Amino acid sequence: MNERARIVENATCTFCGCVCDDITLTVENNRITRAENACSLGKAWFAEHTIEERPYALIDGREASTDEAVEVAAQLLVNARFPVIYGLSDTTCEAQREAVAIADLIGANIDTTTSVCHGPSGIAFQGVGESTATLGEIKNRADLVIYWGGNPAESHPRHFTRYTIIPKGMFVPNGRKDRTVVLVDVRRTPSARAADIFIQVKPGKDFEVLWALRALVKGHPVDPAIEEETGVSLATLQDLVERMKSCRFGVLFFGMGLTMTRGRHFNSGALLALATDLNEYTHFVAKPVRGHGNVTGADNVLSWQTGFPFAVNFSRGYPRFNPGEFTTVDLLARGEADAALIIAADPAANFPRPAIEHLRKIPVIVLDPKPTLTADLARVVFTTATYGINTGGTVYRMDDVPITLRPAFPSPYPSDKEVLRAIKERVRSLVALESIPQPVPHLLNTGTMPGAAS
Amino acid sequence: MSVTLTLYTTPTVPLEAEVITPDRLAGLSEAEIAALPVQYGNERAALGDFFRVAGSGNGEVRLEGDLSRVKLIGAGMTDGRILIEGNVGMHLGALMRGGEIVVEGDVGDWVGAEMIGGRIVIKGNAGHMVGAAYRGSVIGMQGGEIIVHGNAGNEVGHAMRRGLIAIAEDSGDFTGVNMRAGTIVVLGRLGLRTGAGMRRGTIVSMHDAPLLPTFGYACTYSPTFLRVYLRYLRQMGLPIEDAHINGRYRRWSGDAVELNRGEILLLFR
Repeated sequence: MNERARIVENATCTFCGCVCDDITLTVENNRITRAENACSLGKAWFAEHTIEERPYALIDGREASTDEAVEVAAQLLVNARFPVIYGLSDTTCEAQREAVAIADLIGANIDTTTSVCHGPSGIAFQGVGESTATLGEIKNRADLVIYWGGNPAESHPRHFTRYTIIPKGMFVPNGRKDRTVVLVDVRRTPSARAADIFIQVKPGKDFEVLWALRALVKGHPVDPAIEEETGVSLATLQDLVERMKSCRFGVLFFGMGLTMTRGRHFNSGALLALATDLNEYTHFVAKPVRGHGNVTGADNVLSWQTGFPFAVNFSRGYPRFNPGEFTTVDLLARGEADAALIIAADPAANFPRPAIEHLRKIPVIVLDPKPTLTADLARVVFTTATYGINTGGTVYRMDDVPITLRPAFPSPYPSDKEVLRAIKERVRSLVALESIPQPVPHLLNTGTMPGAAS
Repeated sequence: MSVTLTLYTTPTVPLEAEVITPDRLAGLSEAEIAALPVQYGNERAALGDFFRVAGSGNGEVRLEGDLSRVKLIGAGMTDGRILIEGNVGMHLGALMRGGEIVVEGDVGDWVGAEMIGGRIVIKGNAGHMVGAAYRGSVIGMQGGEIIVHGNAGNEVGHAMRRGLIAIAEDSGDFTGVNMRAGTIVVLGRLGLRTGAGMRRGTIVSMHDAPLLPTFGYACTYSPTFLRVYLRYLRQMGLPIEDAHINGRYRRWSGDAVELNRGEILLLFR
């Protein structure tokens, strides 16, 4: 360590939804040389981050200043009839707020990467409800931990050690010894090693297993033929039900193995309903294991600002929610949007082909610290500072707990928030504010019927 | 004379045209109809910007052109008829209370969502959420009929409480999910997880289907009411065979995790 090394205590890792805020960083010459307490993914996240020489902005592939790019971006957005704002899960809540403000001003469709990960859970929360807890509560109380459709050992390495399996808690004083851990998945992943019980479900049969568990919890008989269909024997299910009913505090964590397979929101809904059913017998909670660093913040910011967590449309001047209609991947695949503002996401890398083909046809504006495939097809590209490493702000951990970022070193590039605020200000001056919302009452669920009175 | 609306400007972004109902067009001249407001993306526009108007409104509206990007046609209508020559977009006849819509082509998602009365006939295929509840809403279709001559997507009749949905070909997954009551007849095959969470109501299929572990076999019988329904559907032009009318059905009751008073009737061959 040379003399110019600086220590940043209690830094926050924004790589995944765990948002670990106990990292000690060693910073030398605008480079993080050590990330104490971080997992392998977090260490790589910090170590690989350097300030690269990149243009502040590109307009049609030509280098430009941020201000010039802001002007072009604002013009593109204001002139669009069906602009879509997408991404937002890898940036701060402060930047997310600016994006919602832009959506409101220009009558855009705003959606986050939630719609391609736990969006179905968002639908299920609304339909079924959520019996919930913070990770702190789970750490201190849970004696039965079930993971369903996820592989946290590889995707969220510190989930086990920091919150759920290993740590000693107030009511689980012996840590691991006081807990029973169950993993349910379609294949044996490295997470299975951490579990006492591994239950392998045939692919695409999670809903049937959850439904059978609900029936058993409610005391209804289940045909032993369930084993043939789902790969899980009735005895295994009965044993799991007994454990669930007799634990003191149970938790069901669920991942994209559940939300992104056939059945989607009904899979999440079945799991949430199972947790609700179990509250007849004991205390049971369910939590989605979220991927991106601030995807939970995106849900929270959109919810508090628009009333809905994702897939929100402002075309008519007020927010409407309809996944399937206003989710970005669906509306792009139908070729509906005529401009896109993509913030800290790379849809060109992971959307289906028809959606990417449509992105190629429309003006796209990208904000990202790194070069991306989406930036390659964009009209306007902003290089921004990396949240958590170069910029401060607020992010939400996967259990909806807000955490403050402590940046390690400054970046020459502006933050997402600064760029979005500049776009917002320019858009505000371009938009005449005389437009009056024209509601479609039935989509507001007010009980008033459209058409009849008009 | 009816009013004919011919699409001459194809919308590049969604066009929301809930003004296209017989109620709204009744008694209006061509110029007045052309001046009615529609929502074109985030802009207000006039119906006449997209449709050529001929005739005046007397309860029948004819629509011509590719309407697959036009949403909310017939939403909330209470009376009259809409005849659609081609394909049409989302929310067709959502929340309608009366009257009839006939579509020669395919329709988008949420056709007849939360409808209360009236009839929708689709000669082509329907999308997802036929007669369903909107997200966050507890109850779907509450009355009326939706008759689909082709296939339908997922969540047919989601949380419906009353009314009839008939699909001449196959339906997708979660047909009749969370159903409160009402009747769904599928002449083709059902997808997976039919009737999940249903409380009451009847789902009929002419083929065997994979059922959830929470449905229990009750009996094999010939329900009288079904003959009445099937004769009616034959009148409506669906390919109902005598074997369907006279056949015996295996009755499965469920969903046991809910009220357990729903039934799935599968034709016994």
